[in-house]
Amino acid sequence: MILVSLVLLIVPFVFSRSMVSLINEMLIMALAGCALNLMLGYGGMVSFGPAGLYAVGAYATAILLTRYGAPFIVAVLAAPVVAAIVGAIVGWFCVRRSAVYFALLTLAFAQIIWTIIFEWYDFTNGDNGIVSIPIPEVLYVGSNIYYFSLAIVAVCIFVLWRIVNSPFGATLQAIRENPMRTEFIAVPVRRYQLAAFVISSFFLGIAGSLFCVFAGSVFPDYAHWVKSTDMLVVCLLGGIYNFAGPIVGSGVYILISKVISKNTTYWMFFLGIIIVFLVLYMRNGMVGFAAEKIFRFRNKLGAGNGEGKS
Amino acid sequence: MIFETQHLTKKFGGLTATSDVSLQIEKGELVSIIGPNGAGKTTLFNLLTGHIKPDEGKVYFQGREITGLPPHAISRMGIGRSFQRLNIFPRLTTFENVQVAVFSAQGKSHQLFTSAKKMVRKETETILESVGLLGKKDTKGGLLAHGDQKRLELGIALSVHPSLLLLDEPTQGMSPQETVETTVLIQKLVKERGLTLIFVEHDMSVVFGISDNIRVLHQGKVIFSGKPEEVRRNEEVQRIYLGEENK
Ligand SMILES: Nc1ncnc2c1ncn2[C@@H]1O[C@H](COP(=O)(O)OP(=O)(O)O)[C@@H](O)[C@H]1O
Ligand SMILES: [Mg+2]
Repeated sequence: MILVSLVLLIVPFVFSRSMVSLINEMLIMALAGCALNLMLGYGGMVSFGPAGLYAVGAYATAILLTRYGAPFIVAVLAAPVVAAIVGAIVGWFCVRRSAVYFALLTLAFAQIIWTIIFEWYDFTNGDNGIVSIPIPEVLYVGSNIYYFSLAIVAVCIFVLWRIVNSPFGATLQAIRENPMRTEFIAVPVRRYQLAAFVISSFFLGIAGSLFCVFAGSVFPDYAHWVKSTDMLVVCLLGGIYNFAGPIVGSGVYILISKVISKNTTYWMFFLGIIIVFLVLYMRNGMVGFAAEKIFRFRNKLGAGNGEGKS
Repeated sequence: MIFETQHLTKKFGGLTATSDVSLQIEKGELVSIIGPNGAGKTTLFNLLTGHIKPDEGKVYFQGREITGLPPHAISRMGIGRSFQRLNIFPRLTTFENVQVAVFSAQGKSHQLFTSAKKMVRKETETILESVGLLGKKDTKGGLLAHGDQKRLELGIALSVHPSLLLLDEPTQGMSPQETVETTVLIQKLVKERGLTLIFVEHDMSVVFGISDNIRVLHQGKVIFSGKPEEVRRNEEVQRIYLGEENK
């Protein structure tokens, strides 16, 4: 943990600029993945529309900066609030259905958001996106933008970690395991699912806003279902039943997608194969797989105490 | 009277699963509901706990009408329940299974930023002890033996301090030995906590052993109601149910 933070802090001193950018992207994707995983892994709610809320956050910051000339801090702080409000409205409908219908509804709402962004030229600039967003100069000095992302992502992930380990997080996991049973220990299940939806949207909004600041531009693509599947793959790759899953998944996913796409135009093809392999042979993702191996190894050594630590 | 239903009726398409059921249960009573498969026992439970809404009729608990309330509200009023199938949280540890119910009972489930790990430990362990699972508290619920899972489900149901407990086939799939143990445990817990119990059960030795009263359900109707000896002596019950069991 401390080691990871140290490594992340010295990143700009050892790596090239393009590598630092790549790690910056990984950080933002890690936050988006953890936000999605609150629903997916902890709540058992398979959302196909996280990118919709992510884009709401990105566009909130972009539009406040360009159209209303809002102070930078306000534009960034508004993003999660707007995303949470949109999330509350969308979530209110989605939690009324479960399993595959829930997934379908989230996809539908994300597509609605995408269409609004794509078509509403007067407000969002449509498919041209919004470019040359006035980001404070100071962030472009040295590696400031990297540290800005790192600090916010670190705080957010810490808060998410607190949430999943709280009584609320425990209750959410109970809902994932058995919603009917949870309802009958006097928990209003839908309200909790909605709360998870809103919290998840809040942090997706921050991730979107960070990406807007990082890239200096926003495009309708951010809301596209392809972006949602990126986030889902990040979670599944790393493992949805481990808090660190999406963080590891983000690093690996972005790395392989960049490496492969640099060397071949068929990167989707190779990515597909990698995903098939991971799903078939590492069913709990990379972190889950590693945790299990370590657990087995410790047992073999006789050092394990035989109790399943999760 | 702690619990009452008036003329409960529920139809699924052309099938009348519950037909004009009026029950009156006194506080502290141990009532069993028996009847062949498909008689409508589980449906009756679902009507009592708000999982399905009746077409007609009313349900009262402690003098208040609860018809149409959502399950979580009914549960909050003091009705505990176990379901016929999966009743536990398989990927949570035995400790966490009960802990999450204790959170709810103490109104702590919504706390977002406190660390759950060490909270309500004493209460949780007391309940685990009373159902004999303290020694297995770190085992995942789904990895417990069948009999232990059934005991865990009792523990979860008790955590929310119910005054009325509904159990749907609590000894299903158990060995004769486990059945006896579980029956003794249920009886002990009910006595200790002064609970009222309504349970569905197929094992006649359990039914006759612990019930104060028995209701016999057939095709959605209560066809007989009485004490264990009376049920044993009644010819219609013999023919419809007990005879069938012996075939
Ligand atoms: N949700 C449902 N939809 C349609 N039919 C149902 C439903 N639930 C139960 N039934 C039917 O109602 C009847 C009673 O079922 P049930 O209450 O489960 O019986 P029991 O628990 O006594 O075995 C059965 O014929 C069953 O098929
Ligand atoms: Mg049944």
